[in-house]
Amino acid sequence: MRTVIAIIMVIAGFGLQFVSYFFLAAPWGLPPTGPVHSEPRVPFAPALFILGVMLVFLAAVVYELLPERAGN
Amino acid sequence: MATRAKDRFQVIGHPSIGFYGLVTVLLAVFGWGIYAYYREFTEGMAQTGLRDIGTMGGATWGLYVAFIIYFVGVSFAGITTAALVRMLNLRQLRPISRIAELLTIIALILAACSVLVDLGQPLRGIVNLFRYARPQSPFFGTFTLVISGYLFASLVYFYLDGRRDAALLARYPSRLRWFYRLWAAGYRHTPAERRRHEIASFWLAIAILPLLVTAHSTLGFVFGIQSGRPGWFSALQAPGFVVMAGISGLGLLAVIAAVIRVTSGAGKQVIPEDVFRYLGIFLAGLILTYLYFTVAELLTIMYAGPRHDVETTWALLAGEYAWMFWGSVGSLVFSLILLAGSIFVLRRHIIGSAVVSGLLVNLAAIGKRFLIVVPSQTVGPLLPYGAGHYAPTWVEYSIVLGLFALGTLMFALFSRIFPLIELAEEVE
Repeated sequence: MRTVIAIIMVIAGFGLQFVSYFFLAAPWGLPPTGPVHSEPRVPFAPALFILGVMLVFLAAVVYELLPERAGN
Repeated sequence: MATRAKDRFQVIGHPSIGFYGLVTVLLAVFGWGIYAYYREFTEGMAQTGLRDIGTMGGATWGLYVAFIIYFVGVSFAGITTAALVRMLNLRQLRPISRIAELLTIIALILAACSVLVDLGQPLRGIVNLFRYARPQSPFFGTFTLVISGYLFASLVYFYLDGRRDAALLARYPSRLRWFYRLWAAGYRHTPAERRRHEIASFWLAIAILPLLVTAHSTLGFVFGIQSGRPGWFSALQAPGFVVMAGISGLGLLAVIAAVIRVTSGAGKQVIPEDVFRYLGIFLAGLILTYLYFTVAELLTIMYAGPRHDVETTWALLAGEYAWMFWGSVGSLVFSLILLAGSIFVLRRHIIGSAVVSGLLVNLAAIGKRFLIVVPSQTVGPLLPYGAGHYAPTWVEYSIVLGLFALGTLMFALFSRIFPLIELAEEVE
């Protein structure tokens, strides 16, 4: 159970990083042509990216701290 | 070999008069730094030597930015050492693993503080980076990966690595027992828990190593991809940043390890000479690599570089910044000779040479960071302005000194509440 939760957290973390970086933050624009490429599509998208990074590493804490079974 | 829990506990419980004296001095310096920052915050950036490039003949990035790079660089060696110890099973460096982890965390906190003091309005930086940072900008990587992700990853690594010792310390009655229990979080050092920790640490190390190389390279890209400033646009900036980060971090690690070896009662047993030999060999290898980068960069620019780049490079080699450039290069070369001589030829005085080299390479690192940041803004402007000048004011020097005092204070205080060297197996 512990391993499953940790793996889910890692996948969710990387997923959140990917989505926030490519779809929620300011669009890339190759090359960027206007202010639209400076405006994040969702405010605080970079914060979501950081949350994704944290989620990945937090998985290690969950993996070590979570008891094997309830009441164990 | 490691210290025994009871001995360590006794050390933690009885700080000496010298320790209180050190804390008082550090608090005074830190307080002076706070006062200087208060002046900067209330009276504006005019209190610093920072001025607009060109129109005001100055530099917008100065001492603070140089120290952001320096502190981030120092953080590199800490967690790298800890991760390599875990991944490659480098038992010789195991005694300094926790010191290295703590060094990383403190250096990253100081780097974040340096970012804040460089901003006239720090709140804007705190809010706007979270809100508007652009993925196209290397600042995005520096901010998200270095300051946030890297710091958080290091904290997680440090926390998990310390649980065993926290559990051992929680067995003894003390005022901090609640803290040790909280940290241990039910850890009992059973075979299953040990195995789980091994697995988690291994994967953390695997995840941290690429993160830190990316993070430090990103910091190099802040400069390396800017073609608008002579001397910055270079493919060697990112690898150069990573290598110099390793040099400054390993050097500082050697100095701190030597201080702990001397001040701690059981230090000579727990931090043997072998630790310094290994650090010295790694340090010498990195210095050699960096000197090679420096020569390659200089030859390329001076042979057929753009006019503005050549002007900037001349300022380093024979102009206003020559004393700092040759001082830094000389420190690196001298450190290399010292380390190679003591480790491979004489096979003695290894600790002394590692400490002297550690100090010298850190001075060189500060110098090189300053030289990366400042001359490209003041010399060889692409627009028709004359050469500029930048000299830090007492406010900037005081704030940087205050940051150093804060870092040392954090290290000293933490060493009083938690062992910096892993506790021995026999107490289990």
